[in-house]
Amino acid sequence: MSATAAIDVSTATGRIPGNNGIWVGIFCVLVEFLLLFGVYFIAKAHYPEAFRTGPDKLATVAGTTITFLLLTSGYCMVKAVAAIRRDRRRATLAWVVGAMLLGLGYPLVKFFEIRWNMAHGIDGETGIFYTTYYYLTLNHLVHVSWGILGLGWVAVRTGLGVYSADDYSGLEAAAVYWHTTDVIWLVIFPFFYVLR
Amino acid sequence: MKAFVITNAERIWLLLLALTAAGAWLGETGERGWALTLTVACLIAFKGRLVIDHYMEMRDASPTIRRLLYAFVVVVAVLVLLSHRFGDVLARATAQLIA
Repeated sequence: MSATAAIDVSTATGRIPGNNGIWVGIFCVLVEFLLLFGVYFIAKAHYPEAFRTGPDKLATVAGTTITFLLLTSGYCMVKAVAAIRRDRRRATLAWVVGAMLLGLGYPLVKFFEIRWNMAHGIDGETGIFYTTYYYLTLNHLVHVSWGILGLGWVAVRTGLGVYSADDYSGLEAAAVYWHTTDVIWLVIFPFFYVLR
Repeated sequence: MKAFVITNAERIWLLLLALTAAGAWLGETGERGWALTLTVACLIAFKGRLVIDHYMEMRDASPTIRRLLYAFVVVVAVLVLLSHRFGDVLARATAQLIA
């Protein structure tokens, strides 16, 4: 499928941002996380007390910082798409690199968060709440890693001048995938740091 | 030097950050109960919708994709409410999974 054809999909059924293929991947990821959320709800139903007290021992500041990083990185990709639509390629590159650097902050914060957890005796076997927490958050980190790799690929291609105002479907596909990881994190964050 | 212009993208970004800060505050101070559960469900649905509409630009995109994305955040928000009210029912229904 040509990239140009993909961004020209604008019919009575509405425009498809990015390309068709990325949406297959996005909905696979969303279904996967719905199943993982099912694990969370079932575990919580069986051990309500563990889920009531569990968040108290986690570093809320770490979860909040990750949320800020992801939302700000997502904002950068919104600006990158807006810039390429105006054919401002240097600005596009700057926004994509900014998004990627902010995205890289996520695994960095996660590293320090896990180190902090370990120092406070919280590992995957501390209890059902923490097992579920590691299960979901590390799974999300894996999907974010694909997104960061995607942003790196898009940054290189932007630098090479591949994208233009007439053809930017690859850049937009990376952007919508990246925003999907935001949507999922906006569920995971309250599950483990806010909800009791 | 070109002045920095506050556009819709900046407003949505700042709103999302503010809602996140409010959620974090709840995480530090909130007690288990309907008020916290309802607030979290609303935050999931509203913040999710902001990202879907404004970051992913789905408002004028394919209605099928848009509705499926809306459904994702609404279903999760409803499950948050149901799990609070019917946690015991879910525990009984899945007892064999845990045993």
